Amino acid sequence: MRCLYCDRNIDKQTIKSVFLKEDELCPECRRQLRVNRKILDFDGMKVETFFEYDGIFRSLLLQFKECHDEALKNVFLYDLSEYINIRYFGYKILFVPSSKAKLEQRGFNHLEEIFSEVRLKKADGLRMIEDGSQEGKNLEERRKMSTNYVYTGAPHKKILVVDDVVTTGSSLKGVYNCVKTSAGKVKVLSLAYKCFTLHY
Amino acid sequence: MECLRCGNKDLAYFYKGAKGYYCRKCIKFSRVLLEEEPESFNYEVGTGVDEYRFDYELTPEQKETSHNCLKTLTHSDVLLYCVCGAGKTEISVESISYYLSKGLKVAYAIARKEVVIELGKRFKQIFAKAKVISVYGGHHEELSGDLIVCTCHQLYRYYRTFDLLILDEVDAFPLKGNQTLMNIAINSCKGRIIFSTATVDDELKKILIQRNVRTVELYTRPSRHPLSIPRLIYLNRYLALIYLYRVMSLMANQCIIFVSNKKECRNLYRLFSNFFSCTYVYADLKERNENINAFKENRKRFIFSTTVLERGITIRNISVIILNFSRTFDESNFVQMLGRVGRGIGNDEGETYLISDHYSKQISRTMDYLKKANSYL
Repeated sequence: MRCLYCDRNIDKQTIKSVFLKEDELCPECRRQLRVNRKILDFDGMKVETFFEYDGIFRSLLLQFKECHDEALKNVFLYDLSEYINIRYFGYKILFVPSSKAKLEQRGFNHLEEIFSEVRLKKADGLRMIEDGSQEGKNLEERRKMSTNYVYTGAPHKKILVVDDVVTTGSSLKGVYNCVKTSAGKVKVLSLAYKCFTLHY
Repeated sequence: MECLRCGNKDLAYFYKGAKGYYCRKCIKFSRVLLEEEPESFNYEVGTGVDEYRFDYELTPEQKETSHNCLKTLTHSDVLLYCVCGAGKTEISVESISYYLSKGLKVAYAIARKEVVIELGKRFKQIFAKAKVISVYGGHHEELSGDLIVCTCHQLYRYYRTFDLLILDEVDAFPLKGNQTLMNIAINSCKGRIIFSTATVDDELKKILIQRNVRTVELYTRPSRHPLSIPRLIYLNRYLALIYLYRVMSLMANQCIIFVSNKKECRNLYRLFSNFFSCTYVYADLKERNENINAFKENRKRFIFSTTVLERGITIRNISVIILNFSRTFDESNFVQMLGRVGRGIGNDEGETYLISDHYSKQISRTMDYLKKANSYL
């Protein structure tokens, strides 16, 4: 079997790959994709993140999302899916929606594919008022995203909001605010965080 | 099963996604579905853009070779087999002009980004009326013009588009040993290809035989200098350092010293900076451009370098020393390194040394090549 990222033959085994499940990355690449768990605070909304949006994680996510490489779907949450199962037991996953044009181009929803190994139930009913992606937007335009979401689904007790990369936190904040009215407990999870400097 | 863009036939590289099977061998250049044929890129070439003008006169040999090249293109692909410094760009200009006058699409692909920027400016001077577009990583907003100059990695944007594609320096880093990229480059063209190179290795030979390519040769440089034949010295690695010290202290002009890896480059710089004014360079060094400029402006006399300086640098009155202590250099490396000497027109002299601790086939092939090229003078 070959490593999905660097295309070398996998001849070594790690303890996790023997006992947990077979890894699709080679041990060298896996070592670079280091889990750096952080809890970020955006004005009272706490977001749990696992990776820094940099280096090998960035190129893997870009290959998955922009080059439409579906084979990489189980790479990101290789040993984290069990952790999510236990920590968020009883929660229902709610994905932050992406734009319709991108969905049609890709042919799959990237967040659903990444979280397909997680055994939590899925919730739906979240949609965007104005369709469009956040690519290349500045801080002002990103802040407007916080009022761009509407939740029309059934009320649940516990909801877990999931996104891939958090930068300013404004879109997650928007989702958080509109889901909070119809749910008891809301927690937020993001795969990666992006360090950025503010320009005022 | 075969990928239409990269020619991959290995079943292990195909993966079934939501839209059907796709090839993972060339996934880094966006997805290609197996059932769909990739879209070709369409643009219009303007009329009256084929006029060209040089600031200097071409030599009779160059003119003859460019006529030959155009004549051969009518019935088959061309391998432009020229010694380094012979002016391959100028030779291909006549063919480009002929194709542009018929309204056909032409592209010039080359390995490195810096060379693309430089060549783009040069083509703008040569074809004054044409709209020359240079495409490279981080600069691909505008993709259509009259003449396209791009890096080899950007050719995936143009599937089966060009009627004439010029692949420069096929024996160099990205195309050499990279079958995927080579296939993408070949598939971006539906007409003729000009391969231009100074050396031919076994992999390239296969492609040349497969495509039935004819060779057009030119062995003289416009400067009329013969290729410098190196003084061969076989010495142990540590004795060679003493010899190197002696050569450097007797050397009158500037000198490039080629070594095989960056660790060796750094160590030799540390050692010899105690005795001489010298500097060093390798590909991912931070002060790379400053060090090269310091050498070009004659502030430093010696530069230790890996193969980054082997192409695209012209300095007058330069000498070259090659330290061959590992088996990484091959024939094309040797020829390109030795070809740095004697490129300027007029009085341009330099010495060449090849210090090695073993005898290899690559060295003997290099010597044969140099002797053969010099016999045409």
